[in-house]
Amino acid sequence: MATLASRREISAIGQPPSLLDELLRRFGRVILIGIPLAFLVIWTMVPIVWALLASLKDPLEIYESTTFLPRDPSLRAYWIVLGMDGFGKWLFNSILVTLVATIVPLILSILAAYAFAKYLFPFRHVLLLMYLIPRIIPRVSLIVPLNDLMTDLGLINTYWVLYITYIASAVPLATWILVGFFKAVPKEIEESATIDGANMWNRLRYVILPIAWPGVVTAAVLCIREGWNEFAFVLALVTETGMRTLPYALYMLRDSMGVQDYAVYNAFTILTVLPLLVVYLLLERRVVESIVSGAVK
Amino acid sequence: MAEGYVEYRGLKKNFGATPVLHGIDLKIDEGAFVVLVGPSGCGKSTLLRMTAGLEGITDGDIKIAGQVVNRVHASNRGIAMVFQSYALYPHMSVNENLGFSLKMRKTPLERIADAIKGAAGILKLSPLLERLPAQLSGGQRQRVAMGRALVREPAVFLFDEPLSNLDAKLRVEMRAEIKALHQRLETTTIYVTHDQIEAMTMADTVVVMHDGRIEQVGAPLEIYDRPENLFVADFLGSPAMNLMDGKVVATDFPDQPRAVEVAPGVLLPIPGGAEAEPGQDVVYGIRPEHVTLVAADVGEPVTMTLVEPAGWETHLHADLAGLTLRILSVERVGARPGDQVGILIDPERVHLFDRGTGRRL
Repeated sequence: MATLASRREISAIGQPPSLLDELLRRFGRVILIGIPLAFLVIWTMVPIVWALLASLKDPLEIYESTTFLPRDPSLRAYWIVLGMDGFGKWLFNSILVTLVATIVPLILSILAAYAFAKYLFPFRHVLLLMYLIPRIIPRVSLIVPLNDLMTDLGLINTYWVLYITYIASAVPLATWILVGFFKAVPKEIEESATIDGANMWNRLRYVILPIAWPGVVTAAVLCIREGWNEFAFVLALVTETGMRTLPYALYMLRDSMGVQDYAVYNAFTILTVLPLLVVYLLLERRVVESIVSGAVK
Repeated sequence: MAEGYVEYRGLKKNFGATPVLHGIDLKIDEGAFVVLVGPSGCGKSTLLRMTAGLEGITDGDIKIAGQVVNRVHASNRGIAMVFQSYALYPHMSVNENLGFSLKMRKTPLERIADAIKGAAGILKLSPLLERLPAQLSGGQRQRVAMGRALVREPAVFLFDEPLSNLDAKLRVEMRAEIKALHQRLETTTIYVTHDQIEAMTMADTVVVMHDGRIEQVGAPLEIYDRPENLFVADFLGSPAMNLMDGKVVATDFPDQPRAVEVAPGVLLPIPGGAEAEPGQDVVYGIRPEHVTLVAADVGEPVTMTLVEPAGWETHLHADLAGLTLRILSVERVGARPGDQVGILIDPERVHLFDRGTGRRL
């Protein structure tokens, strides 16, 4: 009782507790933070779990939809997807384009971000803002002019058209992420390396990149995600079946290929999402660390 | 005139349109331990960074070992620098930190290992070689930073406020270690600090800077005992020198023909040799430890306003005709605030400055 009384006295003397404090006190962090988080997790996971379970069902069972869990789980749909003509090529296309759309933007962005972060050149703020233009303009509005341009250049239905557009889209994102991380590397550390005899390349290689490594990993993960999931450009700039990537092939599965087997759609979806999930799970800790450390700094 | 090992000639630095160094001329002898001291923003760190090659030069020359280095890259000036923040490479072990500069110079691995071993031995870092900087204490990090400078066997050591991030006890220890290291290696050292105790205790030569200019250069005690101007007089010394505006007046005393009137009717003695004429406006300076407490009827009467016993000395404030006089006594003082006591001032300990120019008279 004494403790309660003194607490009341303290709160009476100090600031009146805010509504949030009061709610936190009454319902506790677990309920206030835990429930929304649980909701978010469910919201995110349900479609994936739903697709996974549906992919294991019989096609007719999906239409009946009387049970959530498959009555007789089977990998039939996966074998159908993996046996499709072109699936291997689409997977290869996705991997190839994503790799190029990750490695090239990372190299370009590391160099650009280093310059933006460490060199005082005229109009650097304006230039950095201009970097955002490709991402500010809605992608859909770029499709027609890009299609015209690439047709004129004779690049439609080539890997080059995907490389160019994917890289152009990823560079601003990666640069902006890396500028923040490079700026956070203390000036003295780089000056110390300068005195130690490290030229610009060696400073970047031995000092800046290892210190800003979480930022590089974050930028890489986001580039991988963008490249893997990219849909608008591939839809507009590729027409040949053999040039499709997995998201595009998934989209075309029903409309062009006339597949009515929802278990196959879902198996295709799971197989499309799976590589990205694996990358996320492998690098998740690094990404979270970097986002948190960035927030604190 | 003999050349200095490190020499600044008419050195100027502007940041944009703002001048921060107004023409520095200074010669530093080989093997000297020179401390640049001054308040924040006086340009001491800028001067050090220019010496290191981390800041450009607006005008003038920097010479190191007889060579003008204005256009020589930082890595080729034969200098090594210890930063205030240590600037250790956080992802490298102590071993890698120590060897990095040699690795960049493509030194053979055996020589790198020898150099690391030597530096680690001198700085007692041998048990810590595999650790990362984050696993070290502040003092250990400081030693690694020094070790990194040491392995390069530089012609000049540059220290930029290296002890500022340490606690008081460790600072005293590291101060002694740096001084001992200098005595052992006898490498020319330029050390920047705003801490006058560091300046006084470590330097062979103190350079007092203010507002982008050198105010005075000299041995620590020489500067303490004979400050050339008001800024130096006020800056060096803790507690600070008592500085009182006054006017030189003629007196009737044959042994003290002149004195300074600091308040109506309050005459304080001045040194016999001071070049001050009656009627001249001056600033009268006396260090707190040079004011002697006596009985009220013996000396100039004052009223105690503050008594701060520190154990080994006593800091006192006394009211002298409306002026606050700081007094430092190494004796234990029984006086209490409000007590009337007397003070005596040895005229030979008095510093007299022209009030207009601030120069010593």
